[in-house]
Amino acid sequence: MKPPVTEAYATSLSGRWARYLRLYRSFLMHNLKNEMIYRANFAIAVGMDIVFMGVNVVFFAIVYGNVETIGGWTFHQTLILVGSVGVVRELAYLTFRQGFLQLGDYVRTGNFDVMLTAPMATFVHLAFRHVSLTESLGEGLMGLFLVGYGFAHLDAASWISVPLYLLMLFNSLVIYYAFSLTVNSMVFWLVKSQELNTVVYYFMNTARYPREIYHGLGKAFFTFIVPSSLIATTPASILAGRAEGNLVGLSIGVAVVLLCLGLSVWNWSLHYYSSASS
Amino acid sequence: MQKYWTVFRVNWQNALQYRGPTFISILGNLLHISVLLYLWNAIYRSGQHLGSYSLSDLITYYILQLMINSMVLSYISWDIVDEIREGTFSNFLVKPLNYLYYWFTINLSGKLFEGLMVLIVGLVMSFILIAHVSLPSQGITLLRFALALVLGGLLAFEFDFAIGILAFWLVKVNSFKYMLQYGMFFLAGALLPLDLFPAQFQAVANALPFRFLVFFPIQIFLEKEPAPMAGFITAGLWVIVLYIILRFGLQRGIKRYEAAGH
Repeated sequence: MKPPVTEAYATSLSGRWARYLRLYRSFLMHNLKNEMIYRANFAIAVGMDIVFMGVNVVFFAIVYGNVETIGGWTFHQTLILVGSVGVVRELAYLTFRQGFLQLGDYVRTGNFDVMLTAPMATFVHLAFRHVSLTESLGEGLMGLFLVGYGFAHLDAASWISVPLYLLMLFNSLVIYYAFSLTVNSMVFWLVKSQELNTVVYYFMNTARYPREIYHGLGKAFFTFIVPSSLIATTPASILAGRAEGNLVGLSIGVAVVLLCLGLSVWNWSLHYYSSASS
Repeated sequence: MQKYWTVFRVNWQNALQYRGPTFISILGNLLHISVLLYLWNAIYRSGQHLGSYSLSDLITYYILQLMINSMVLSYISWDIVDEIREGTFSNFLVKPLNYLYYWFTINLSGKLFEGLMVLIVGLVMSFILIAHVSLPSQGITLLRFALALVLGGLLAFEFDFAIGILAFWLVKVNSFKYMLQYGMFFLAGALLPLDLFPAQFQAVANALPFRFLVFFPIQIFLEKEPAPMAGFITAGLWVIVLYIILRFGLQRGIKRYEAAGH
């Protein structure tokens, strides 16, 4: 005797996933067509990203010209760290970041109504609506290059760590998303909300330094309040062969808790949306 | 003069009303600076060091960098580019205002306002880290520091204005501009003290005027600058040369202006 309800729920759940994937695909294609109109702009954006990340590499190159290790990290290990930030950034643009950048306009103009009434969870719709392959592609490519270059120069590089590295990159993406969602929940109370994403920007800006530099209160702060010390350090530690089980467990724990928190805060904040000019 | 005073007052009130964004950008810088302080602390605790800097010197360097970022570095080019691109610049052509002086006034009031805010943050931070702050040994250093800040502020404005009016010639200046700013701040010593750079790189950075924005004032404060007087004169000359170039560039730019959207 099988409970039919559960089965129906199960198919609807998998059906929902499939539908979201289809929607993601069409949003991505739609946005890609728009982006391809401005090809020159795209080339400039990629070049700019590469310069931007190049400066970060130069920063570490100069510091490593003076020191052997930072918090136990060698230069090549640090390249994996810096590169991973670039990869996470590109993954974020491929999944949600641009949507949050537009959120302020949606709320101010009242167009957010459309998001609320669409047959799709708002926190997914907002994320998928503006997914962009090219917005941060330069950082993604440069990031991959840095990760590869650092990995090739390691003494104890092991290919077995790659799957776990990818998994933890995904975990970092979840932390990034959850943090964005929590911070952006404040949009319904603010008139000028651009600054919320400035906060998120600064959050990612501090991700490229190894977690080992923190101690005491700072460590707790950059783990639980502003969890940027986990974003790049956790995946990079795995690939660099310096991972501990604790760190992986901690990162997954923070991701899960933060995601639950973010979703609750977001869903609660939605009640305060006042739908301007409609 | 009267009209610029009005511009100053209006912008001051504007800044007062939208103090939130200013505050958040200061907090963001503070966050980054805190991370860097942890970074230097970790390096010095492991028995390593950077160039001739003591940990206190480095901590002081970055607290001053935080304050200079708000007091000296200029970000008006964002608005200038928007005005030129969207065509609102046309309004200026009929106003009895000089565009350069107008933005100078806006920048001045903005920097004074932000400067007051960051001064509080910087003082609180110095107070917490008082044991690790290198204070100047002579009173004259503070005067020199103030003069260096003023010269740095003038130069920073002139460079940013120059980036802004590039929009007369280039349509898609925004992405390009971000790169220029980032590179400029790096060569100014905002991320790392210039004397930690490799020798050839250092020679280039020293020949460029960008070091007067950040590195030069801080070196004066730390009493590490060997020739402050020569620095003041060079910076002063750059201010004048850039002023002449900007006046000329602005004239040419206005002739090229297409008043898009009108």
